[in-house]
Amino acid sequence: MNAILECKGLTKSYGGKKALSDVNLTIERGRIVGLLGPNGSGKTTLIKLANALLTPTSGEIRIAGMKPGTGTKKIVSYLPERNYLNDWMRVHDIIGLFRDFYGDFRPDKAYDMLKRLNINPNDKLKTMSKGTKEKVQLILVMSREAELYLLDEPIGGVDPAARDYILETIISNYNPEATIIISTHLISDVEKILDHVIFIREGQVVLSSSVDEIREQGKSVDGLFREVFRC
Amino acid sequence: MLGKLLKYELKATGRTFMPIYAAMLIAAAVTKLISALTAGGSEVPEFISAIVYIMILMGMFVMTFVVMIQRFHKNLLSDEGYLMFTLPVEPWQHIVSKLLISVLWNLGSLVAAFLSIVILTFDEIANRALMLDLFAVIAEFLTIFGPTGSLVVLEIFLAGIATTVFGILLIYASIALGHLSNRHRTMASLGAFLGLTAFAQILFACLTLIPNVRVLQHYMDTLQESLQTSIALFHYVMWFTIGFFTLLSAGYFLITNHILKKRLNLE
Repeated sequence: MNAILECKGLTKSYGGKKALSDVNLTIERGRIVGLLGPNGSGKTTLIKLANALLTPTSGEIRIAGMKPGTGTKKIVSYLPERNYLNDWMRVHDIIGLFRDFYGDFRPDKAYDMLKRLNINPNDKLKTMSKGTKEKVQLILVMSREAELYLLDEPIGGVDPAARDYILETIISNYNPEATIIISTHLISDVEKILDHVIFIREGQVVLSSSVDEIREQGKSVDGLFREVFRC
Repeated sequence: MLGKLLKYELKATGRTFMPIYAAMLIAAAVTKLISALTAGGSEVPEFISAIVYIMILMGMFVMTFVVMIQRFHKNLLSDEGYLMFTLPVEPWQHIVSKLLISVLWNLGSLVAAFLSIVILTFDEIANRALMLDLFAVIAEFLTIFGPTGSLVVLEIFLAGIATTVFGILLIYASIALGHLSNRHRTMASLGAFLGLTAFAQILFACLTLIPNVRVLQHYMDTLQESLQTSIALFHYVMWFTIGFFTLLSAGYFLITNHILKKRLNLE
């Protein structure tokens, strides 16, 4: 089995400022990976490069052996850190759009989750609160049977009760062959579901380790994070 | 996938245009009705209604232009682009779907404007003699061209489409070039627009003046037998225009596609 995500010398600068600098990284399939780092450390940049929303300055990134493009978009389910929903559709319209374009989308799953979170499929996206829109986006993304899920700050904007439900949803909705990469700085909330963590600081990977290895050293991910990123 | 993109693009834009078309046709009908009812009386109500109609008519053409820019910029290169560019679709399909729907609304606005004029001049049209006169004039114009008369209609249609497509792709390419700038993307797009327009004009001047001097000279020399020459020159100019704008459109399309495919950097 080839790696699901691979970076070689991946660098991205904006103007003169380096957001990612010579990142080398391999992520195997079947893991739940935490991409952890403070704000502005390059987490979003890395995820956007994997989605072909950004073009690398140098180096390369591959997903299941392919350069980001139409082939990878079919197998990657991406939750951006911002709201990408237009304001004129209703929830069931956007579900229709996902069903039209993604062969791996399961509408029944989406409608189930909407029901659990008390979201009416006939509501207009325009009238929804920020938190509800985030939930809708997460539902859309998790209703696909993708090979790689890239979740950028999936729990940042929602209340703790919904946060628990969302994490539960993430775990229960994915198959063991798939890989989930979750970017966040809310480590204690996600710690319990992670298999692997990557620490990223100022555009560089400072640690890539399995959670078991960290625990063998008698540490928690949260504790190690505080140690590594001490201000 | 292109078909699906077209479907969503039509939905996204139709909800703007359909109400405008409806409002304009209603305003035209109301104006006509008031004019019939107040014949011989005060002209104020008809005047006000006509103003409303003209405002909607102008608004419609402004919206056709604004929506064309907004659908490209907002749907592809702003936050909504995060969804559009993660759909498993090639960038050229995004461009083509937006282009075709934009051409469609350009035609739609013309048809709607024409229909509103039909409504406003309903009694003149009902007066068949006038219409027959109009058709006779058009027919006479076309008979000048002899057997190539029907070709003229095709040429005018194609030239209209070619210049519309050119205008739209000019805007797309300008926005895409502006996207290459890290900051001040709007200013960069305006700069690119001016640059691409100047380029088109210079190229047009080079291609028309230099090689065509001889054609024009030949035309002047043979002015005595002018009718046949004029017809030939007309066809020549029309096909030249169609070819020129198609070629430039292809160039602007390639620029836009290259940037969306290889140089995308969503903020």
